[in-house]
Amino acid sequence: MTMFDRHLSRKLAAFIDGERAPARTRQEEAHLARCARCRAELEQVRLGMSLLGRLPLAEAPETLWTSIEAALRLPAPRPTPHVRSWRLAWVAGLILVAAGVYWQAMRGPKARWEVVRLDGSPLVGSTRVAAVGLVGAGEWIETDARSRARIRIGEIGSVDVGRNTRVRVVAALPGEHRLALRSGELTASISAPPRLFFVETPAGTAVDLGCQYELQCDSAGNGRLRVAAGWVSFEWKGWESLVPAGATCHTRPRLGPGTPYFEDATERLIAALGTLDFEGAGPDALRIVLAESRIRDTLTLWHLLSRAPAGERPRVYDRMAQLSAPPAGVSRDLIMNLDGMALNRWREELAWTW
Amino acid sequence: MSLSDREIGPDIIELCRRGDRDAFRTLYLAYKDRVYSISLYFFHGDAAAAGDATQQVFLKLITGIRQFRGDSGFSTWLYRLVVNTCTDSARQRKSQSLIRERSILETFPAAGSQEDESIRMQMAASVQLAVSELPAKFRLAVLLRYFEDLSYEEMAKVLNCSMGTVASRLSRGHRMLAEKLAPLKGWLRPGE
Repeated sequence: MTMFDRHLSRKLAAFIDGERAPARTRQEEAHLARCARCRAELEQVRLGMSLLGRLPLAEAPETLWTSIEAALRLPAPRPTPHVRSWRLAWVAGLILVAAGVYWQAMRGPKARWEVVRLDGSPLVGSTRVAAVGLVGAGEWIETDARSRARIRIGEIGSVDVGRNTRVRVVAALPGEHRLALRSGELTASISAPPRLFFVETPAGTAVDLGCQYELQCDSAGNGRLRVAAGWVSFEWKGWESLVPAGATCHTRPRLGPGTPYFEDATERLIAALGTLDFEGAGPDALRIVLAESRIRDTLTLWHLLSRAPAGERPRVYDRMAQLSAPPAGVSRDLIMNLDGMALNRWREELAWTW
Repeated sequence: MSLSDREIGPDIIELCRRGDRDAFRTLYLAYKDRVYSISLYFFHGDAAAAGDATQQVFLKLITGIRQFRGDSGFSTWLYRLVVNTCTDSARQRKSQSLIRERSILETFPAAGSQEDESIRMQMAASVQLAVSELPAKFRLAVLLRYFEDLSYEEMAKVLNCSMGTVASRLSRGHRMLAEKLAPLKGWLRPGE
């Protein structure tokens, strides 16, 4: 079979849509005239396209724009001012920022969230919650070994406060819902655009990207994040761990977030990763992590690209490329240089397997 | 150039970059139904999920339009937001059980009787179900091509893959649809 006689299965849509070069089209027409299999497949692709024509355009709900405007708090329509210089824009920006800070400072303490008792006698400040109470910025919620509570986080979800837990409301604003977990355990269920809900811990901040997760923190500040749905970004001083559903990330004060891993990874991988993250282990531990990795564990390896010493980065890259070839536009050189765009592009491709 | 790029000129985009609310509204009206439709059929007809995704797309668009440098078509940039938002949301929903209805095909009447409104609706529902059962990569490719008529080059940028991969996904996606919906072939009018 010559190159002109190859079956056209993968090119049929392009052939129908006129996306093939004229010379190719002539070769492919000749092939189709000879090949019954490709003609049958061509008819199938055409049928699929025709059937798709039965799919109606759906109208977006009327209320959607109102929701978008509310989320953005866009100003009322007015003529767009022509900014004459960047200095004017800068000054205007400063004024807006100052106004925003003032507005938030004025508004913050007044917003309060509902606290529902789930078990025992949780406290808001020094007040016991008999059934339902309120909590505002600056106030603590505390549970003992027999009590639990649920905080309704504005309009975006809820947080269950586990037993023996101390948590403080830092900000209760429409654009910023922020708690600080001192110790204990909480479970968050949030349905909102990313970066509206935050939980500070002694080891960094969990940033909601639209998800459900558990966050634990012991009295020494050591913690663990487990994500049940969606994604959480755990951030500390420029370090970031992106944790998807089914994955876990340990955290330590002054060290920040460890490398995330899937809970169904092998015990050897998890143990070796712990020593890499928090005990200063070297190449032997990395060798175990690489050897034990499945394609799903590229979550862990992707994070290690930027965390492992530069000298070890090629080994991480090679193992990742072995598990899943990098997509177009992502080269070894770019990854060795930690090119942000290339790293993100590879992550987006790998995330299909996570 | 995509369908919507023909409707929205660079002047509207420039006004949006300056924060003009009316320009955002114009942009929203031009794209909302196609963004919503792609989201709706991507999320198996789940209107709440589609509404959330559409809202997120336009929030990202409005807050990030200054990052649009104009070195590719505006639609390419916008639909990249759509693809990322839909795939991110799909991952978030992965653990939630998906309730799938029995195939409408099983109850579809034999071809030959007069097509009426209810049959057209059933056909649309069957196609929707078949689309929703396509693997996500094929589903997105098919929906982007159908609703926005993006070129293969634009789709390659949006889907972050080669034009050959776009062609492959479209070919396989359409063939899978044809296989799932073979019983409906007799209901298509000549030339459809």
